[in-house]
Amino acid sequence: MAAASVAAAQPAPRPGPVLEVRGLRAYYRARHFGVVREVRAVDEVDLAVLPGQIYGLAGESSSGKSTLVKTIAGAVQPPLEIVGGSIRLSFRGGAVETSRAGAGELRALRWKHLSYIMQGSMSVLNPVRRIERTFVDFAARHIGLPPAEFRRLVEAHLQRLRLEPAVLDAYPHQLSGGMRQRVAIALATLCRPELIIADEPTTALDVVVQKRVLALIRAVQRELGSSLLFVTHDLAVHANLCDRLGIMYAGRLVEEGPTAELFRAPRHPYTRHLIASLPRIGDTVPREGLEGAPPNLADPPPGCRFHPRCPLATEVCRQRVPPLAPAGPGRRVACFAALPESLA
Amino acid sequence: MLVVLRDLLRHRPEFALGAVLVGIVLAVAAMSLLAPHPPELTYVVPPDLPPSAAHPMGTTSRGQDTFWQLTFAIRNTILFGLTVALLSRILSLIIGLLSGYLGGAVDRVLMSINDTFVVVPLFPILVLFYFVMRDSMSWAALALVMACLGWAYDARLIRSITMSLRTREFTESAVFSGMTTRQIVLQEHLPYVLPIVFSTTLNNMNWSIGLEVTLSVLGFTSINTPTIGVMIYWANQHTALVAGIWWWIFFPVALVVMLFVGLFLLAVSMNEFIDPRSRLARMRGGS
Amino acid sequence: MASYGAHLTKRLGQFALVVFIGISITFLVTHLTPIDPVEQTIAVAAAFGSTSPEAIALLRASLRDLYGTEGGLWQQYLTFWGRILTGDFGPSLSAFPTPVAELIGRALPWTIGLLVPATLISWALGNLLGGLAGYYRQSRGLRLAGIVAMGLHPIPYYIVAFLLLVTFGYLWPILPLGGGHQMNLEVGLNPTFILSVLEHAVLPGLSLVLVGVGGWFMGMRALVSNVVTEDYVTYAELGGVARGRILRSYVMRNALVPQVTGLAMSLGSIFNGAIITEQVFGYPGIGKLLIDGVHAGDYSLVLGVTTVSIAAVATAVLVIDLLYPPLDPRVKVG
Repeated sequence: MAAASVAAAQPAPRPGPVLEVRGLRAYYRARHFGVVREVRAVDEVDLAVLPGQIYGLAGESSSGKSTLVKTIAGAVQPPLEIVGGSIRLSFRGGAVETSRAGAGELRALRWKHLSYIMQGSMSVLNPVRRIERTFVDFAARHIGLPPAEFRRLVEAHLQRLRLEPAVLDAYPHQLSGGMRQRVAIALATLCRPELIIADEPTTALDVVVQKRVLALIRAVQRELGSSLLFVTHDLAVHANLCDRLGIMYAGRLVEEGPTAELFRAPRHPYTRHLIASLPRIGDTVPREGLEGAPPNLADPPPGCRFHPRCPLATEVCRQRVPPLAPAGPGRRVACFAALPESLA
Repeated sequence: MLVVLRDLLRHRPEFALGAVLVGIVLAVAAMSLLAPHPPELTYVVPPDLPPSAAHPMGTTSRGQDTFWQLTFAIRNTILFGLTVALLSRILSLIIGLLSGYLGGAVDRVLMSINDTFVVVPLFPILVLFYFVMRDSMSWAALALVMACLGWAYDARLIRSITMSLRTREFTESAVFSGMTTRQIVLQEHLPYVLPIVFSTTLNNMNWSIGLEVTLSVLGFTSINTPTIGVMIYWANQHTALVAGIWWWIFFPVALVVMLFVGLFLLAVSMNEFIDPRSRLARMRGGS
Repeated sequence: MASYGAHLTKRLGQFALVVFIGISITFLVTHLTPIDPVEQTIAVAAAFGSTSPEAIALLRASLRDLYGTEGGLWQQYLTFWGRILTGDFGPSLSAFPTPVAELIGRALPWTIGLLVPATLISWALGNLLGGLAGYYRQSRGLRLAGIVAMGLHPIPYYIVAFLLLVTFGYLWPILPLGGGHQMNLEVGLNPTFILSVLEHAVLPGLSLVLVGVGGWFMGMRALVSNVVTEDYVTYAELGGVARGRILRSYVMRNALVPQVTGLAMSLGSIFNGAIITEQVFGYPGIGKLLIDGVHAGDYSLVLGVTTVSIAAVATAVLVIDLLYPPLDPRVKVG
């Protein structure tokens, strides 16, 4: 759907997904004063992102989506450990299994093939370094131009985001929040990476600014043809931006599919609840929330992790983990009630 | 509190080491209660005897048993340090709390004054103090003057803790839930402030004892009361090292170094333990 | 640079406050005793027997004038300030009639020459090692360095100086022990003299560095541990920025900023350490001058040295404060 429209505007897409995650398990293991705690933040996740696609990852605060994104970005540090599975990044010129790659390999592809837009763009820029120096730090080694030409390139790029060249000579604290946000986006897109990961970039922004930033991100993505892995708990943003949406709950992917279809006909009870609880214009009464709270990932419930809160839960849900199975073209659901075939 | 101490002892080697060192020093100080002679008496035993079974630390040129002299010396030194630390706590707490809670102009004025006391070199002033007081200088006077000069560094620390507590969420919820200021300060804030005050007390003791030793060694205090510094002073007066009476210098220095390092380790390990960020770093397996 | 002007004014104000409070405390201390310091000094001078009655009368008048025992307390205070601001501390008793200002003038360069390099070395070394220790937490070598530094730091300057004296004076005498330079050398900028000065500065300097390094080490290590968790460092690591660049320009550079303030704040106690160390090694700086003055009962000298010490440290702090803004572009200069 979205991939096709991108293909019309650009040369034929590279075959195969840009990002392929298979059976990923990433846990936090802490040894504190003699007690071992294991938090199963990401437990058996499979997903794929195609070239030029905007893939959204939705879920509550403790769904594991931030951890998933950290592992994909290669930001795995103790107590976080990749316990199993693989992450594969494909780009022009090759492919790397980032879950197993060494520091040197990772560094070579950082920013060139994989970049990152973080939450809190307020603080991602080194406060004692001018903006130009930050661009040089991140991108100069990939672009490989002499300083004057590099600067011209960056200025042209900044202009696309409606930033003045003078920004390069400023310190971060001299710029407004909105400008810093745009600088962060410019920084992440300068080297035209195949995959950009955006981790809650618009959370904590007011709606007006949010709309502007999202439009910017979409415009840049379309121009570059990069894939975008967009993580936020805000479903409205997903509806606005993403081609494909994956819903995470308690460390697992529970539903996945084209965004429009997912909103029109959600199948997993959790997704149904999420979408139903979105306020709409014309609402006269508040919508209901779901009872209970997400499970403690150090000691998750057996079987389907949603079953304690699920209106459709049956005995089998308590005993077996529902697999993420196909439920139509390009759709997957992990639920015995929504997909009785998966019981087999 | 006890649980904290037990955990500290078990898992933080610095704390355990510090506790052991301070424990030894305190034990030696306590033994002063068993001393056979009052410390002012001289020539009660044969002078200049090297360490032996009868005199495990030898005897001094003034005819005193080094060990028993040392017990009094370390006891007085500790008492002095403790007195200065406790007295200066009063000033540190008042100024730190006022600054932290009231903020604004009060804070600015107090901190300007505070920084002044941090910057001004105190040693010359103490020397001058001795100079004008001469023989009428007493330990109490010295302790008082040092307390009045040495509160500044810790006041700033207490102020920053107070300021961060004031703006924390749990303070605001306490206010909204109707707790009185007094209740908030005592029940919510004190558990954070006390450990820091405790560790600054230990540091302050190191500072004041260090100054005491330095002043005494130079003869700038009342040299008839035995303290570590005074002991070394007398040893120098009798040119102990040149005369080969090394034990007169060695044991007081060794013991007071034990005290310094011990107190320091205790203060540092307590600080690290309290600071949540370093706790997180430790959980990651580092350090 | 109008914004810098505001910063300058603020720091000058603090400087003035430090000098004012410091000197006022000095005044207060000298008037604490019921004993008349003037008469006390006269008594000591007379006991020497070698000063003539005219000299004593001159001394009494000079001392009376300087420490103004005439007039009320307030009058004395003003006269005190008047004399100090003109740098006139009166004649030294022990080196009569050499003015105190001259003695201080001779000794101060020695103190500064010892203090400034020693402080800079311990600051730079401590910050470098501490920063590396905070970044490479697993390194055994750095952890060992940390333990050594932390072990030395709480020990007061006097004891470290004393231990060095014992080690290099009695156990392993390879370095000169006393004075600023060898006795009968021609003073001047010739290589032999300079070499001798350096030789004599090693032990006192080493003493200062050993005690100082530990403090900077620990502070920097803690700062770096915190900075490493900041967003901009994580982001730079995610961005594949060169490790060396991250260490220098992202971590150390940011962690160093509070250490500069810390340097300004510790100058007072470093100065204390320096004058004590001078005493141990007989180094001809104002520390030795101070202590010798006390032993000789030289009131004007002791007072003069105290006053100059306060002014010197306050000035050094001011200088550092003024150098601070270029280091931290965020500082509110407006």
